[in-house]
Amino acid sequence: MKQNKTVQYLFLVPGLILFALIFGFSIILLVSTSLTDWTIGSDRVFVGLKNYINLMHETSFLSSLKNTIIWIVLQSTVHVAIGTSVALILMRKKFYWKFVRTVYMIPNIVSAAAVGMMFSIILNPEFGAVNNFLKIFLGHDFSQNWFMDKSTAFGSVTFTWLPYAATITILVLAEISAIDSSIYEAAKLDGVTGFQEVIYITLPLLKNIIGTCAILGGTSMLQKLDIIMMTTQGGPRDTTMNLPYYIYKTALTNNDFGMANASGVYLIILGSITVFAINKLFHIGKDKG
Amino acid sequence: MKKLAVLMLTTLCAVSSIFAGGQSEDVTNKSGETVITYPTYRVGSHLYAKAESTLINGFNEKYAGTYKVEVEELPSDQSYVEKMKVLASADSLPDVVEGKNGVLELAIKTGRAIDLTAYLEADPEFVAEIGSAAIKANTIDGKIYSISNANSLIGYFYNKKHFEDAGITPAKTWPEFMSNLQALKEAGHTPISMMTGENCWTTNLLFAAYVGTSEEGETFMNTKYPTDYDNQRVREGLEMIQTILQNYTTKDAIGAKYDIAANHFLQGTTSIICNGPWMAGDFTNEAKASADIMNNVGIAMYPDNGMFAEYGHGYMVCSEDKVHQDAAWDFIKYKTNAAAQLVMLEQGNVLPLTGNVKMSDEYKAANPLLSELITLSKDAEYEFITLDTNSYASVIDEMSRDYPALASGDITVDEMIQDMNAAALRSK
Repeated sequence: MKQNKTVQYLFLVPGLILFALIFGFSIILLVSTSLTDWTIGSDRVFVGLKNYINLMHETSFLSSLKNTIIWIVLQSTVHVAIGTSVALILMRKKFYWKFVRTVYMIPNIVSAAAVGMMFSIILNPEFGAVNNFLKIFLGHDFSQNWFMDKSTAFGSVTFTWLPYAATITILVLAEISAIDSSIYEAAKLDGVTGFQEVIYITLPLLKNIIGTCAILGGTSMLQKLDIIMMTTQGGPRDTTMNLPYYIYKTALTNNDFGMANASGVYLIILGSITVFAINKLFHIGKDKG
Repeated sequence: MKKLAVLMLTTLCAVSSIFAGGQSEDVTNKSGETVITYPTYRVGSHLYAKAESTLINGFNEKYAGTYKVEVEELPSDQSYVEKMKVLASADSLPDVVEGKNGVLELAIKTGRAIDLTAYLEADPEFVAEIGSAAIKANTIDGKIYSISNANSLIGYFYNKKHFEDAGITPAKTWPEFMSNLQALKEAGHTPISMMTGENCWTTNLLFAAYVGTSEEGETFMNTKYPTDYDNQRVREGLEMIQTILQNYTTKDAIGAKYDIAANHFLQGTTSIICNGPWMAGDFTNEAKASADIMNNVGIAMYPDNGMFAEYGHGYMVCSEDKVHQDAAWDFIKYKTNAAAQLVMLEQGNVLPLTGNVKMSDEYKAANPLLSELITLSKDAEYEFITLDTNSYASVIDEMSRDYPALASGDITVDEMIQDMNAAALRSK
């Protein structure tokens, strides 16, 4: 056993070296440069926590932080709920289940940039399918700039990713297939209904995977840059600004790497809080049901 | 034995992960040619892709055995600028760099842009081919860091048939311009293509033209990187843009990128678009323009005889060693000399740097709009540079985010000006 443990640790070494070199070193560099005034082409000047304090007074940063938190909450709850619900429907394996699973997967296999472009066209106020459909349905002229109207921009952007939870569905379905069928057989003998089966047996046994999906969903909002770029660029004004896009703009439009890196540290902290909170909520990895 | 095998295997994994992906930089390639690294976004469906390819292939052919240009293709000019910024911060700019959108200033700041004065002094023939005006335009503090690649004259295009329907001619004054828009609207046409996405190109051309067509405005528009936009001309210009976005453009102008604005004009939906002569090739392209547009487009100066006139930043030498600097210089000369300017004119509708490069009669017949533009420019009273060249990228970005709010009335013109000032101060 002791020999096995040694071998296990030895085989972890390459991965740990890669992690240290790529992620560990990068994080150290990120944190250290976030404490500097660093613009492209200039020497780094140590300024302590000035960048962090300045960010807290930037309305654009505060908007991006607020929006990112809202999207994390939505993605780790609503998005996961949608994916889980579809999985619970498909687990009955009716005649349509394979077709639905495949079709539902399509938005997730198309690149996010392409999805953003598609929605820009579908929601175009002049020739977009949605407005034209509504024109016919309502019987009068209708034009709504879904992405650029302050009242609909946030919802429209959210709609480009929130309902498409095929990855969640696939993961939950895989976990469902690992549940011992004897539990369901015993439950049937006790006379439970289908609904009770889901509430009292299936869902509690899916606690770990749902928690994992909540982490995956929530943390995916910390990387959402491409769809924002293809649709609203964070506008109108900061209505759809998120942290990744704010960091991108600060670094490559304002040429301010120091502030961008400080924003990056805030992003990492937000991600860590997200993972910690969801772990605590779901007690992932602890007792099974 | 088993333990030894495991140890060797893990060591091999660890060592290979450290050294994997390494790349060595050679001064010359296997054929002994000096490799010139050159990234470009003029590829694929870019308007200048054909001309760019002609020039690069021509150079490689001419200098086979001596030089070889190693091209890195980038998908857009925005991605080009961003990549150059990152490379500049890592002090690893390629040999030849185009100095657009602040890249020139960054290369100078990092000390990588080479002063080309000595090269120019040693080659008076080349100097005559690019012209003193282009050299002067790119002289910074008495030094010449880049060689211009284009002479840009920009007016606006209009649909002649729409103008006939409305009973109007190109406006001589700004009040007449606005009444023309109203007349076009009453004649059943959407007056003008606008866009607030990307760099708000067509919108900002109109805005900058308004600002530039006054004495103080012309000075303001020809001063690089202002930090205070609070003046009467800017205020009036933004009010004009607000009115146009609310009343005289397409419903998708808010948030639109260039392709949407251009498409509306090319399909005959809108009557006016502000854009440069490079668009002229699209008017006879059946894949892009409707049949109504072809041979139905006119070109005009901005009211009060205003026109954009600027020499492009062009190309810099950013190599570290003398061998590559000389090679890069030869490549830049090849890309900007009289012969290259003729290629860019005939294949990209890019105006040459001097009048020495003559348009052939066939070219003039096939491209009447460019001839007309050059004729019009002789009567220009106000000449100014574009907002993209005049302002920080952060200001353009802020305008892109503020125009929708301005159009919907969520912010006032004064609030937008304050945002622009703040954005200028944020830029470093």
